[in-house]
Amino acid sequence: MAKRPAELLKGTLDMLILKTLELEPRHGLGVSDRIAQITRGTFAVKPGSLFPALYRLEQVGFITSTWGATDAGRPAKYYELTSAGRKRLVVEQRNWARIVLAVGQVLEAE
Amino acid sequence: MPLLARIRSLRDLLFRKEELEADLDNELKAFVEQITARHVARGMTHEAARRAALLEVGGVEAVKDGVRTARIGNGLETTIGDARYAWRSLWRAPGFAIAATLTLGLGIGATTAIFSLVNALLLEDLPFRDPGRLVLVWNDVTFGGYGRAPLAAAELYDLRQRSTLFEGFGGIWANTTVLTDRDPEQIRMGLVTADFFTLLGAAPALGRVFRPDDDEEGASPTILLSDAVWRRRFDSDASIVGKTIEVDHGLSMVIGVMPAGFRPMLPTDSNVPDDLQAWLPLGAIRSATAPRGQRFLRVIGRMKPGVTLSAAQKEIASIGLQTGREQPFYGPAGLSLYGVGLHADSVRDTRPTLLALFAGVGLLLLAACVNVAGLLVARAAARTRETAVRMALGAGVGRLLRQYAIEGLVLGALGGLAGVLIGRAGLAVLIVLRPSTLGRIDTASIDPTVMAFTAGVALTWGLLLSLAPLAEIRGVTIASPSPANRAPTGSRRVAAGRPYRRRAALVVCQVALSAVLLVGAGLLVRAFLMLVRSDPGFSSAGIVTFRVAQNWMRFDSPEKMIAFTRELRLRLAALPGVTGVGAISHLPYDDGLPNWGTPYLHEGDTNLANAGTADTRSVMPGFFEAIGATLVEGRFFIDADGLSALPVTIVDERLAKRMWPGQSAIGQRLVGDPRTTGLPQQTVTVVGVVRHLRHRRPAIEVREQLYYPFEQAPRNPMAYVVRSDLDIGQLAPLVRQTIASLDPGSPAADIRPLSDYVSSARAARRFAAVLAAGFAGAALLLAAIGVYGVTAYGIALRRRELGVRMALGATGRQIVMLVVGESARLAAAGLAIGLLGAAGAAALMRTQLYGVTMLDPISFGLAITVLAVAVALAAWLPAQHAASTNPLESLRSE
Repeated sequence: MAKRPAELLKGTLDMLILKTLELEPRHGLGVSDRIAQITRGTFAVKPGSLFPALYRLEQVGFITSTWGATDAGRPAKYYELTSAGRKRLVVEQRNWARIVLAVGQVLEAE
Repeated sequence: MPLLARIRSLRDLLFRKEELEADLDNELKAFVEQITARHVARGMTHEAARRAALLEVGGVEAVKDGVRTARIGNGLETTIGDARYAWRSLWRAPGFAIAATLTLGLGIGATTAIFSLVNALLLEDLPFRDPGRLVLVWNDVTFGGYGRAPLAAAELYDLRQRSTLFEGFGGIWANTTVLTDRDPEQIRMGLVTADFFTLLGAAPALGRVFRPDDDEEGASPTILLSDAVWRRRFDSDASIVGKTIEVDHGLSMVIGVMPAGFRPMLPTDSNVPDDLQAWLPLGAIRSATAPRGQRFLRVIGRMKPGVTLSAAQKEIASIGLQTGREQPFYGPAGLSLYGVGLHADSVRDTRPTLLALFAGVGLLLLAACVNVAGLLVARAAARTRETAVRMALGAGVGRLLRQYAIEGLVLGALGGLAGVLIGRAGLAVLIVLRPSTLGRIDTASIDPTVMAFTAGVALTWGLLLSLAPLAEIRGVTIASPSPANRAPTGSRRVAAGRPYRRRAALVVCQVALSAVLLVGAGLLVRAFLMLVRSDPGFSSAGIVTFRVAQNWMRFDSPEKMIAFTRELRLRLAALPGVTGVGAISHLPYDDGLPNWGTPYLHEGDTNLANAGTADTRSVMPGFFEAIGATLVEGRFFIDADGLSALPVTIVDERLAKRMWPGQSAIGQRLVGDPRTTGLPQQTVTVVGVVRHLRHRRPAIEVREQLYYPFEQAPRNPMAYVVRSDLDIGQLAPLVRQTIASLDPGSPAADIRPLSDYVSSARAARRFAAVLAAGFAGAALLLAAIGVYGVTAYGIALRRRELGVRMALGATGRQIVMLVVGESARLAAAGLAIGLLGAAGAAALMRTQLYGVTMLDPISFGLAITVLAVAVALAAWLPAQHAASTNPLESLRSE
């Protein structure tokens, strides 16, 4: 990795996790790999942040977890988006788009 | 946010914590495995791959900690853990838990019960619309010895005309009347101005209250019933409104029924009782020409919104001044009106009693808490090792503080719970015992305000008590017993010297508190006994009383009325066992009738400013003899003091001294007002002087007294007094028969022993004295328990020393003296502090002490004696036990 991983903006981690789970259930490592992949290595989520975030999201009911097996046949806990989580993701994305737009305008104005 | 998920996770957290932890553990293990496998696939050795994976995870325990912190209710979990721990440790020591809970519960329960009275009577608003705007107007006739006199109708008229800050002024005057439709019955009724109820802001349960046209001239007569009369006499007839009933031989239409709890809430000295049974319109008060000397109206005003009490008071005073200047009637004395807040005035008699009781119960609560603190200190000392272990295992001081605070709160909650139960029971007892002057107590209940107060008290004390053992943990270190706790000998038993001193200090507090309560209670009880023993100027022994309302339709002339009363007296006197018969217009302490204050002047003096106001009573021959009044000089009334005889009067000593100091009053003349015209205009000759009869207030002489013979100052109804050796059960039917044989239409009411009136007049004082004595007794018991505990504890600490002493030849007696002496020193210190406090408390109670000085030697002496005996006994019991044990045994146990 040539680029230094950027600091994650506060509150965006939850959104990113929800986003990675949008298409299919993943286990913890899968979530972290996917985030690194879609941000092309810009964000690297450490387990110390990842697991507390996963637990938090599960507790408030945005995701649920079940034990399953990986492709390699190892046991792993899989996380899946709930309908509440899906709604939340839509809201978060909309908010994010607004923020990006607003910040972009500020930067362009300079 | 999905609530269910949260609840589920909280549930998991509380009840399935182990599963949760195992799950997390497995997940992290799997995570590490996955990464390791990935590294291996890239060609690392298994060892290196695993190390790298662990490095990447960055500490499995740290991750777990992060997850735990993220969990909902993390703080709650610790708290619940602490509470569970507190509960368990209380459960492990049931003796301690029960003692602490009960002690705290008793203190809190007593406080709750008394507070519910304070809340109902002093704190809660009067049950009227916007009651803060209600003002009661008094007439200050201090120059005539009458600071709280009612107003004349003309003065109400002046207020109505001139005030700008009031929505209106209404008046009430209580008296009796007779419901004559069937079984004639006397009732107490209030004559009110038509706006009285609307101003008060009280709504009827049925029908309506009075309207302005109800007291216009020529308006058809109307009546408003109380709930009690409606239920009893009219069988709760729901269709009564609009019906016509016979009131005092006339027809009145019932316009409404007031709700069950309605009370006018006027102060007792207004002579408007709370238990009026009906209300009638007073009739037109529209003129300024009504006699200004006839003061009978209790006037209330309702301030306009936003008007302050002080502005309203100024306006009332200035209207009085202005009227006084304009009306020649008042002369140089003028007219002095003043307004007071209705609520404040209606509780002015009960407030000091309630506050004194509240203060007393507060001290009792304090004593209870000191007791519990003693228990906690002892327990903390016993738990030093546990505390040290917890600290060694990494519990910070903050964590321990929290633990103690929670233990305190659990204890407080238990005590509070017990307190509410005890308080509820206590309140029920108080309501049963309530004296009639505190009749409104029956509205007291454990309502949300009281509950909040109790919870606040319980939890505050719980927290404060949790501080008690803090001093113990302060000295505890991981390496405990610390040097501070270690006695020179290194003996584990002697190590607890500090807790002994602390408990000793608490015992000093207990003794001091109970000394204050004992002296306070002693003073109140003594004052009550002095009152009971004091001579009010008459005797109620063997006397039965009843009011007879004469049927004026049948006895329609003064001569006929007089003939009736003479005949009735003769027939009553002829009853078997009867030794005296008389009658008076007002029975002692019967505040339900308007008291009668009339002016009097020296003969020839026309300046009204010089007029005194005397308590005036109309009296039939035989009355003074029957109640055992003391004749100072002259004679009592006789039958010859009749309608057309020379107008005469009997005065009390005070009036005689005021009017004719240093001379005999017999044969002197004064100008009085036996027929209530409002002006002194009848010259009367003094034929007798009696000792002052304290029949208004048991403890004070209200003012000078004038007695007129009934036939020259007729009243209806009159209250008869019959002295006999029959009990009331035997006499009552005879009385009823006698009256019915004369006229069935003249009903007798309230056939009661005179002693009823006397004891109800003292009841408030008895109530306070009994409660105070109860508080003092409880505090004494607590102090005795405290002394017992500290003595036993001291003996336990010194067992070795005592054993050695006994082995060296000390007698049991010497040992007892040694131990008791120690406790006696503590008690003496507490007593000294307590007596100082008691002197202060006595100064605060000064106004409630009758016939007893503040530093009453008997009360103080008794308190000291009782405390000394209790302390000696409490210390002697464990000492005696210690002295009787085998010294070798106690040495061996070391």
